[in-house]
Amino acid sequence: MTIVPQLIVNSLFAGSVYALMAMSFTLIFGATKFFNFVHGSFTVIGGYAVFYLVERLAWPIYIAIILSIIVAGGVGFILDKTVNLPLRKKKSTNTVKLVASLGLFIVIQAFVAILFTSQFQTLSNTIEQKIYQIGSAVFTQTQAVMFVSAIVVFFGIMLLLKFTLFGKAVNALSDDEEVAKIVGINTDKIISYVFFIGAAISGWVGILVAYDTGIEPTMGLGALLKGIIAAVVGGMGSVPGAFLGAFLLGFAENFGIWKINGEWKDAIAFGLLIIFLLFRPQGIIKK
Amino acid sequence: MNNTTKWIVGVVIAALVVWGLVAANKNKNQRNPAQKTVMGDTYKVGVMLPLTGDAASYGEPARNIYQLAVDEINAAGGVNSKKLELIVEDSKCNGKDGANAAQKLISVNKVQVIIGGFCSSESLAATPIAEANKVALFSPGSSSPKLTGVSHFFFRNYPSDASQGAVLADVAYNKKSWKKVAMMQEQTDYALGINSAFSAKFKSLGGTLVNEEFATSATDFRSQLTKLKSQNPDALFLDTQTPASAARVLKQIQDLKWKPHLIVSDILPPDTATVELYKDLLEGALGAEVGTDATNPKFSHLQEAYKSKFNVDLPFATYGQTEYDAVYMVKAAIMAVGYDGQKIADWSRTVKDWEGATGKITIGADGDPLSRHSPVMIQNGKMVPFAE
Repeated sequence: MTIVPQLIVNSLFAGSVYALMAMSFTLIFGATKFFNFVHGSFTVIGGYAVFYLVERLAWPIYIAIILSIIVAGGVGFILDKTVNLPLRKKKSTNTVKLVASLGLFIVIQAFVAILFTSQFQTLSNTIEQKIYQIGSAVFTQTQAVMFVSAIVVFFGIMLLLKFTLFGKAVNALSDDEEVAKIVGINTDKIISYVFFIGAAISGWVGILVAYDTGIEPTMGLGALLKGIIAAVVGGMGSVPGAFLGAFLLGFAENFGIWKINGEWKDAIAFGLLIIFLLFRPQGIIKK
Repeated sequence: MNNTTKWIVGVVIAALVVWGLVAANKNKNQRNPAQKTVMGDTYKVGVMLPLTGDAASYGEPARNIYQLAVDEINAAGGVNSKKLELIVEDSKCNGKDGANAAQKLISVNKVQVIIGGFCSSESLAATPIAEANKVALFSPGSSSPKLTGVSHFFFRNYPSDASQGAVLADVAYNKKSWKKVAMMQEQTDYALGINSAFSAKFKSLGGTLVNEEFATSATDFRSQLTKLKSQNPDALFLDTQTPASAARVLKQIQDLKWKPHLIVSDILPPDTATVELYKDLLEGALGAEVGTDATNPKFSHLQEAYKSKFNVDLPFATYGQTEYDAVYMVKAAIMAVGYDGQKIADWSRTVKDWEGATGKITIGADGDPLSRHSPVMIQNGKMVPFAE
């Protein structure tokens, strides 16, 4: 039974990555009410930005990381202003916005592939990776950072939403955009800021993955899909739900393959999604 | 946004897209000088190999070697006073792109012979297309046992992995006394071929196996490795398609603080960079390779020529020799029977004791060479012949 602690540890770390993606995705969904595929691009941008700064320009790690997060967030902010805003003004349907976001996602992915080649790049050799051990469970420094940041981001978002004026505006906006406008909230500005925050978190995931395994231009979709599953399972629009859903997904995947062959991991993830959609479509925490 | 602004933005975006496409195309052409079409008197030889993705690490050197050989042949007067011209397509180490590459070379460029695929998945997909169009498909690297006798139009100068699997199983069970082996197999034709050959022989000797498979695109192997580790195997067989893929798994084995005895597929030991990086983990690892003979004059000439032209040591020497020989064998075929796919395929079965960088080459009726793998191991970050 010594395998169990290691599986728990693996689940926690997988869950942390999914949680970060899910929370940022659900935050943006709450504000804009459509499935935004370009969210996966910010992961790619974050990962490649830090790769470029650290590998090609040899900048110190911490500055590179902070700058990359800001770059990812900034791209999100700009994309919202240039693409989503006009679509919102024209009162486009959600399908149109989804297709536009998918188009953006593909363009960004192709752009990154042209600039950096589609080769798998890894940053894990550039820093001394400490390995920790608790009992029979082993994990790396990067994984520990993943877990801690998921918790920090969770509490950060919850505090932001509950106690700041900005957060309350976001809540109002998610509730009903029209009424929020009537009450005097500048919804477009709030949405842009939400995009910045969400994209920045997504970029941070890219950076973590770059240091944990590695990056390639197509990494955005995989991370995004798992984030979406977690967000849907947890309840779309609910940040605590996304947090819980992500860890549920992480545990289901990693304990699931204990007895079943490892190639079924993705099948388990999507199977979980289908079960929830069939029996509890509103997710764990109803919003 | 008013209409004028919309126009300006539209033009800017269009300009960016066009610039992006031109830049990408220019990059592709810079990497592909052989693609300049020479009108008229050339024999066109199609080439399909992985130029992008993980497998590019052995695809790119292959292209260099083919071009090196063609330049040598053309400088010495060509083939029947015509020059050889390579037409290169990127088959990306998978069946779908392999089929597309073959289709394009055959229908658009109208070649009669293709050197390729490199990855077994490419060859398996391209063979039916080559056969239907009576084009000879000659692979210097595809080793899947499924390609043995698959078609009269397919032949290779690299041996089948039936040999690799059997050699590894024999050494592992009998010489190393590893009775229980855990298998991390990448889901590609090549890796599957080695697994099947190894498993069959290993089980027939009395060994037991535990199997885990992973997709090429997978990046998180931790839970599968945890599972395999908990089974306490005597050794772990890292059966991957590319060194890059092996490196990803090795890193996570290291992260789990696991130091199992390792068996590796034949793409790993010749990759000096990856072996050096993980030399602690790979110490004593078992592999099976097609040997190279430093005393072979053609082989040592290839090493020198590659080094002087590209300023690095010949990478993946085990494939380098077969790739170099492949071009010269195509030349011999055209000189013997002419530029015709059917005749070249017929000719291939008559190849007996043909002197190449790999030594004397004989190709059997099933399209396979008579050469076999021999066991190697990794010691101090270097590949050496196996010794007990």
